[in-house]
Amino acid sequence: MLACIRCGLCLTSCPTYVLSLDESEGPRGRVGMARALAEGHLQVTPDLVEHELNCLVCDACTAVCPAGMHMDPLQVVLRAVLESEPPRRTRSVQMLRRLVFGWLFMDLARFRLLVRLLWLYQRLGVRWLARHLGILRLLKLESAELLLPELPGRFVEPHDEVYAPSPVAEDSPSAAFFAGCVMSTALADIDRATIRVLQRAGFELRNPAGQGCCGALHAHGGDLPRALELAKVNIAVFEHHEGPIVVNSAGCGAMLKDYAHHLRLDPEWSARAKAFSTRVRDLSEALADRPIPISHELREKVVLQDACHLLHAQRVRRQPRDLLRRIPGVVLAEIDEAGLCCGSAGVYNVTNPVQSRQLQQRKLDNALAPSPAVVVTTNPGCLLQLKSGLVERRSPVKVKHLAEVLDEATSP
Amino acid sequence: VTVAADLRALLKASRVLDAPAELRTYAYDASFLTQLASRSPDAVVIAASTEDVSAVLRYANRQGIPVTPRGAASGQAAGAVALSGGIVLALNAMNRVLEIDVPNMQVFCEPGVVHAQLNAALAPHGLLFPPDPGSSRMATVGGMASTNAHGMRAVKYGPTSAWVLGLEVVLADGGVIETGSVGSRAKQSSAGLELTKLIVGAEGTLGVVTRLRLKLMSIPPARAIVLGLFDALEQAGQAVQAVFGAGVSPSAIEILDERCIQAINLYRPAMDLPRVEALILFEVDGNLPGVRWDAERICAVIAPFAQRTEWSDEPGRINALWEARSLVGAAVGMLRPGSNRAYCGEDICVPVSKIPEALRAIQDVGARHRIPIATYGHIGGGGLHPGHLIDGRDPDEIQRVLRVADEIHLLALRMGGTTTGEHGVGAARAPYMAQEHGPALEVMRRVKRALDPNNIMNPGVIFDALPLPFEFPLAGPVGEPTGAAIDPG
Repeated sequence: MLACIRCGLCLTSCPTYVLSLDESEGPRGRVGMARALAEGHLQVTPDLVEHELNCLVCDACTAVCPAGMHMDPLQVVLRAVLESEPPRRTRSVQMLRRLVFGWLFMDLARFRLLVRLLWLYQRLGVRWLARHLGILRLLKLESAELLLPELPGRFVEPHDEVYAPSPVAEDSPSAAFFAGCVMSTALADIDRATIRVLQRAGFELRNPAGQGCCGALHAHGGDLPRALELAKVNIAVFEHHEGPIVVNSAGCGAMLKDYAHHLRLDPEWSARAKAFSTRVRDLSEALADRPIPISHELREKVVLQDACHLLHAQRVRRQPRDLLRRIPGVVLAEIDEAGLCCGSAGVYNVTNPVQSRQLQQRKLDNALAPSPAVVVTTNPGCLLQLKSGLVERRSPVKVKHLAEVLDEATSP
Repeated sequence: VTVAADLRALLKASRVLDAPAELRTYAYDASFLTQLASRSPDAVVIAASTEDVSAVLRYANRQGIPVTPRGAASGQAAGAVALSGGIVLALNAMNRVLEIDVPNMQVFCEPGVVHAQLNAALAPHGLLFPPDPGSSRMATVGGMASTNAHGMRAVKYGPTSAWVLGLEVVLADGGVIETGSVGSRAKQSSAGLELTKLIVGAEGTLGVVTRLRLKLMSIPPARAIVLGLFDALEQAGQAVQAVFGAGVSPSAIEILDERCIQAINLYRPAMDLPRVEALILFEVDGNLPGVRWDAERICAVIAPFAQRTEWSDEPGRINALWEARSLVGAAVGMLRPGSNRAYCGEDICVPVSKIPEALRAIQDVGARHRIPIATYGHIGGGGLHPGHLIDGRDPDEIQRVLRVADEIHLLALRMGGTTTGEHGVGAARAPYMAQEHGPALEVMRRVKRALDPNNIMNPGVIFDALPLPFEFPLAGPVGEPTGAAIDPG
């Protein structure tokens, strides 16, 4: 926090500042409030909690900071501290948090069960009933329900499978796949597309059993202890597998790369966490220097929607663009305000629906301005956020994960 | 009844803040002074209209409540902080570009427009607002006008004041005037006292700027850059003198001292700059044959003094060389990991002929107080930005850096310079104004009293220094700087 020299360069990069033009909704203000809290000049007050929790943790400020300030770790620690203060949540919200953080996301089997139930909800006509009887409106879940994609019947359950390179290549580096919780269930088709693309790029890919959620939701939701618990599980699991750890979710990737930071003071885990984090690669990074056998051209105009956790948190900008340009026929257009968050930001669209929607609409306006046929993204949250917005607008424009586009272009 | 409650009842479209954490975020700008002496206002108004600004001032004037106008608070002089409490009047949300008058080459805009965003809006018309502060991406044009900001190209295009044609100003009693002739779109005028120039640089002490009429120029079609490396600071000074005498008018002349060069090499090893006492970048702009002639001429003129020279009109190379200059603010932190820039004594300006002497003297001051200083600046105009690096947790270093700043300010005055070349006086340099201006300061105070008899407009800056209680930082950071940032592009 002392790193912040209060120059204000971050202001115009911050989505909530851009929306509100209020200093307490900007990064400099948030760092200032946190520092004043730590130094005893402020108490925990409702306005402090509100403005700190309005942060999307998109790290756009971190990416432009000339003084090397990092917002993500600050927010993680701050939120853990705020969580330990006397309860400021209603009992029902506390219970929901315990259920989601303490039970649901701690074990992928439980998460799979939930998604299976939602799948049944979609298939058995319950959704039709819920939508038409106004139950969703009653429960204020209308917009949240819109975010739910068409769920696949089959998940990608990590069981130590080995996916051989196809076709078999002489140069076939090993890699380990981080399947993710949302990605391996609700968006399992994207995980499968990712696996196929990696196979075609010559990787011998393993899907380690025992891996779990990355813990990003916990860390950003104020539950650092459970985030660290999950981190240790993943570190231990992937130690048994060689090569880069490839992840197709920008949000998870950023968290996995941050394990080294979060565990740096733990004598037992710091070295192991560092070894783990240095192996983590976003899909676009893993493919950057690999030959990819393109079999189909794609005569379409596409735009890339930069995921904040790829662009800002991981500083990966060029690689996904280069991959798209490798596909013959693709016309890649840039969008205005590319660095401004789409409002998804983990569970932000559920916790802060007003700002989330403003950012979603702004992102869609910018993304659609070049008249693309496809909006490509690299993160499940962005994907669902953009899809729900486009459905609402009845727009024919498709949203695809980079893995899906590459899968189509390389399919035999 | 609180000030905030009164304001809420009074204002139509503006927002009023008064929650404690919110107020704290308006308690400082980029100055080191307000890091040490943060001061929360009693209320913040995020202004939405001239009418509301007028209502705030009418109310505050009646009640005798101080009002501090604020843009982006990116200033380094504690000029936009309510140091004696009262109301912070935030103008950053009044950020519309109202009209671009292309044939008359001027723009009407609100004070909260960010400088870079203004030029982005002008660019499609081939137009440019030339003053260019290093803080282009955060500074508002209202703040630029209020501090009479200069920037790198001031050596050719002058300060902000040269480009302001007229202002809408709300006076301390709430009255609204238009300077530069009512309804005028003329590009020049000799009609009476130049109130525009009086308000520009007044740091909100005489009134609040709510609209600006700015003069524009065409974007120059070409530019070129010359790099000169000098073994000794004195040679760098001689080179600049020679260029001025050679019939060339560079659009920027920037100097980096040895420490800055070292910092850039640490930050971007690929730049691999040689170890010399000074590096100078000359920029020329205009038409292509012209800039080539200028660049070659500069190279020829400085060659006798330089260890090495090169020039280029190729955009890639220009950007690479300019990058060295733009990185320096971020890079100086590399000289001492874990340290921070302390913005104090950061903006002196000395006669151009005395720059080498000033640079050596600044190093001496730093050495004496054991504070590393990396200095860069606009050598063409004499402006120097010493960057002090301190450990902000060490009270002893804090005391020492404050002494460094004091000595640098006095050094500038002794050399026939000024304590602030382009950032403004604020509260940080108010204590030096009596020495800098002599009896002229009393005349300034008379002007101030005439326009603001109740002294509500930004008290504590320029005219009189306030005693400021310091709240020294306690030990123990929560977040940690984990390394250098990259360019967002």
